[in-house]
Amino acid sequence: MFRDDPPALQLRGLTKRYDDGTLALEDFNLEIHSGAFFGLLGPNGAGKTTLISAVCNLLRVTEGEVLVFGQPHDTMEARSWVGLAEQDINLDRFLTVRETLEYHGGYFGMDEDEIEDRAEEMIRAFGLTSKRDVRAPKLSGGQRRRLLLARALMHRPRLVILDEPTAGVDFELRQELWDYIRRLHSEGTTILLTTHYLDEAELLCEEIALIRGGHLIARDSADGLREHFGVNRLEDVYVKAMAS
Amino acid sequence: MTGLVWLCRRETLRVSKLWTQTVLAPVISSMLFILVFGLSLGGRIQQVSDVDYEVFIVPGLITMGAVQAAFANNASTIFQARFDRYINDVLSAPMKPWQMTFGYTIGGIVRALAIGISLLILAVVLVDVPIERPFELALAIALGLVLFASLGLVVGIYAETWDHTSFIQNIVILPLTFVGGVFYSVTVLPSPWEELSHFNPVFYLVNAVRFGFLGESDVSVWLSLGVTAALAIPAYAWAQHLFTTGKRLKS
Repeated sequence: MFRDDPPALQLRGLTKRYDDGTLALEDFNLEIHSGAFFGLLGPNGAGKTTLISAVCNLLRVTEGEVLVFGQPHDTMEARSWVGLAEQDINLDRFLTVRETLEYHGGYFGMDEDEIEDRAEEMIRAFGLTSKRDVRAPKLSGGQRRRLLLARALMHRPRLVILDEPTAGVDFELRQELWDYIRRLHSEGTTILLTTHYLDEAELLCEEIALIRGGHLIARDSADGLREHFGVNRLEDVYVKAMAS
Repeated sequence: MTGLVWLCRRETLRVSKLWTQTVLAPVISSMLFILVFGLSLGGRIQQVSDVDYEVFIVPGLITMGAVQAAFANNASTIFQARFDRYINDVLSAPMKPWQMTFGYTIGGIVRALAIGISLLILAVVLVDVPIERPFELALAIALGLVLFASLGLVVGIYAETWDHTSFIQNIVILPLTFVGGVFYSVTVLPSPWEELSHFNPVFYLVNAVRFGFLGESDVSVWLSLGVTAALAIPAYAWAQHLFTTGKRLKS
């Protein structure tokens, strides 16, 4: 059913050159269909975060086009369809857990009643009930990570972008986050996940793209990648792709 | 428009959560000026422009407290949001650049008004300061707050460290305010200091506010309002330009 929708994400000739001259992405093309669980793998500096930032209007695109469900990424509609949980914790230090979610909902145009109900739902879903009136700096690392994810999902985005959501979290929380993300995907949400953990990518993602130096090296299912590179393990795919 | 309302609420919430720092402290320090310079020394200083000294300094002190707060508030709120990167929550939201500029400007204006109104109430009680020209007073305050709230945003966006914001506050705005005729009429200054005072933009703002309160000032109120407006409009446009282009806000 989702394949009839416009693609969740289309990048056409996307190029980003930073002010210091660094070319982070060059003529990058990618299409992710609606409802997909898509993984983006690559070493540090490959361009993963740059790509995500471009989709979320957090950087000035040098050249190219970014479409979200067929709409240019900087339109109000497209912006409201995307939810982002960034790699680094970037929570507003003046706001409590509940306020963090409420204000995010407000920024994304939700109405007052909906905000209240959804914030409570998110607080319960992410096990933050006892911390609802605690400000972000007083939360533990795991609680902040949960809040970050809850904030990204608060406005019910159609495309959820998770930039290394399980980096530095313990085993239990990792499993918990995986369960939640899987459930989200089963409800029809398109997920774009970047990760350094190959097992995570293989376990969760239907399709994986390997990027290096701002270029797409390969994209396929985990099995397809293994077959393409003639190896048995995704680790070997990664090593071969990055060395090629 | 919902996003704009929530951004305004967030910026106002920050001011109210930190009210002892954002409102109470500046009100106390301005009141100390009124008490020390006005009530204690006022008896030893002759009237200025036919007005008691403790009344004469009130408009300047209210201006000083308000514009410094408008600047400091916005410089710190935007710098903090950039530094901790939670500004991304706003930059990625379905809000237009003008809504972001307006929303971030509001916090400084609300804080400045809270300080200004508190000082006004105290000044009316303590020294019975009049309000002779309310329309000109409201216009002068509005333009002054837009000017300094916008400058705060611009500085907070360009700043790379906390020192940069406090540098502008302490090395530029505070001295200009002090020599802008807050504590004296520039007509008593010897040449060339009187003439040089006319190159200080804060001098015009202080005089416009003083005219609103006392009905008299060192220069024409319309010149004062004109100069302040001529600075406020490009300052706001500059802040708007930064949000529109994403310069310094987006990599």
